[in-house]
Amino acid sequence: MTRRRAPGTPRSERVVKWVVSLPPALFLVVFFLVPSLIMVLASFRLPGEFGGLMPLRAADGSLDLSLDTYRFLFGDWIYGEILLKSLLVAGLTTALCLLLAYPLALLIALSPRRHRDFMVLLVVLPFAANFLIRIYAWILLLGPANVLYSPFAVIIGMVYVHLPFMILPLYTNLEKHDATLLEAAQDLGAPRWTRFWRVTWPLSLSGVWSGTALVFIPVLGMFAIPELLGGTGDILIGNLIKEQFLDNRDWPLGSSLSLMLTVMVLLLAGSAVLAGRRRRTLAKGAK
Amino acid sequence: MRRGIRTTLCVALLAFLPGLAGPGCSRTERPPEDVLYLYTWNNYISDETAARFEAQCGCKLKQDYYSDNEEMLAKLEAGAVGYDLLVPTGNAVDTLIRQDALRPLDKALLPHFGNLKPETLDRWFDPGNRYSVPYAFTITLIGYNVERLQELGLPTDTWALIFEPRYLEKIRGKVSVLNSQRELLAAAMIHLGYSVQSAEPAEWEAARDVILRAKPYWATFSNSTYIKDLAVGNLWVAHGYSCDMFRAREDAKDAGRPFHVGFTTPKEGAVLALDSFVLHKGGRRPDLAHKFIDFMLDGANAADVSNLIGAGNPNAVAQAAIRPEIADDPAIFPAPAMMSRMSMLRDFDPHVRRVLSRLWTEIKVR
Repeated sequence: MTRRRAPGTPRSERVVKWVVSLPPALFLVVFFLVPSLIMVLASFRLPGEFGGLMPLRAADGSLDLSLDTYRFLFGDWIYGEILLKSLLVAGLTTALCLLLAYPLALLIALSPRRHRDFMVLLVVLPFAANFLIRIYAWILLLGPANVLYSPFAVIIGMVYVHLPFMILPLYTNLEKHDATLLEAAQDLGAPRWTRFWRVTWPLSLSGVWSGTALVFIPVLGMFAIPELLGGTGDILIGNLIKEQFLDNRDWPLGSSLSLMLTVMVLLLAGSAVLAGRRRRTLAKGAK
Repeated sequence: MRRGIRTTLCVALLAFLPGLAGPGCSRTERPPEDVLYLYTWNNYISDETAARFEAQCGCKLKQDYYSDNEEMLAKLEAGAVGYDLLVPTGNAVDTLIRQDALRPLDKALLPHFGNLKPETLDRWFDPGNRYSVPYAFTITLIGYNVERLQELGLPTDTWALIFEPRYLEKIRGKVSVLNSQRELLAAAMIHLGYSVQSAEPAEWEAARDVILRAKPYWATFSNSTYIKDLAVGNLWVAHGYSCDMFRAREDAKDAGRPFHVGFTTPKEGAVLALDSFVLHKGGRRPDLAHKFIDFMLDGANAADVSNLIGAGNPNAVAQAAIRPEIADDPAIFPAPAMMSRMSMLRDFDPHVRRVLSRLWTEIKVR
């Protein structure tokens, strides 16, 4: 009975779509859009004497907004330099995660079905321990090896923490691949490497992209790992933003830095989506 | 209007992060009872002392904890109400007074106020102690691996140890300094013989240069991991707080390490942080708060903080109840001559803060 009603009229379908997408949309508006707009406003205001912000209206009632913070931010290269370095660290971490995660995800996907759930459980098992405790464990491991407090240690920590976020989307993608495609390729004489490169890899690209986004974006904002494992030169944009809000209590500067990061992430995500769409249109055209 | 927003925020916070919402959010629904809300540093009062106070006053003591003043100020700024007592450091007391956020003390309710050492009273942040009752102090100093530094023949009582390449080259990669703009720049300023409140940009730039010259020899900027690293032996020298060094020393002792952790106040002087009890205006039980402060002024109770975490104690009567190895440690209780060389950090105005933060970012990146 219910199954027959499910397709429904276009109108009730639209209502269902709205109802289903409303909570997440509301969540994003309340916890992303509104805070972002507050930060846009904060970045044009003046830092308050005790931290926080100066009153929005000056003593004479005029709006107390200024471009000072942006002048300060773009007045020298140092802040751009840190952003660039953060992008490099995020890129390197993502690449390493992909290199490590792909074979493992493939292995799990190709294992007998009854073993898969257990293997996935092993992948997410580290989450059972608190993030900070796991990082402190790395301090104990890296200390005697004399590589603690170095860029190397930061990359190790970043890759370690974010690896599951790359493995899981890859696995969910690879698991769904139709084995007959590979058999067909084999029948047509494709060697093992060609079968991977021409069949498995192109089909897994959507998993690669979601894994990349899940790793790259959090790494870009991460401040705890560089602070705990990094040396004297390993400051990233996340650390800088945190310092402005907590230690230095300069909210406008912190807001503008944070917006710079958000814009950068949106630009990258946007261009990735565009690139994906173009490739799909090209592929369709080729057919 | 603003209050409306705050209430909404409180409800939102309560829904998502029950642990973060202050007592003020949830307390309105409950019937009034005798509860004292204390917002304090971790480990500042032992469980036994808290239990004794509850028994004596017939009330409940509820504690929330913060790990730095900025965190506490930020939470109060965001509208947390219901905390009767806070234990901020001098500069934060100053901020709270200027924000008109504190309730004046009623000294008639504090018969034990006379237990306090005169030199800890009447400080710049609260002349005449109208609002604050000193409770504990820590010194930002140098902790070190006693055996290693003896072997290398390095001095342990001077800032030159962490700033001068002639010493640093023997301990390259075994030194950590605080990841704090104010503390590290202050140490460099003291090393150069300048005031930590200097208004001279050239002096701050000189401090930056000293730091940049020493930086290649340092392993890391660290605010907390140095405790473990000193106790384990990963680091030989650390710039940090006396309480943390005390813990590193105890940890190394308890773990039976083949070395000792020591700490000494540099002879050039150092930064001292004096924490005091203050009454927040948002608190609902000033009567209990006074009772608690007076209880903690009593010698044996006041000794707690020194015995627990190795903090310096402004209470003269407490001295007898403090374990002798702590009471006689000059790095925890400096001699009067040393005490006169201590500076307390005061906050700068937003403009200077931004200039110093630019210097700090440069220090971090170069």
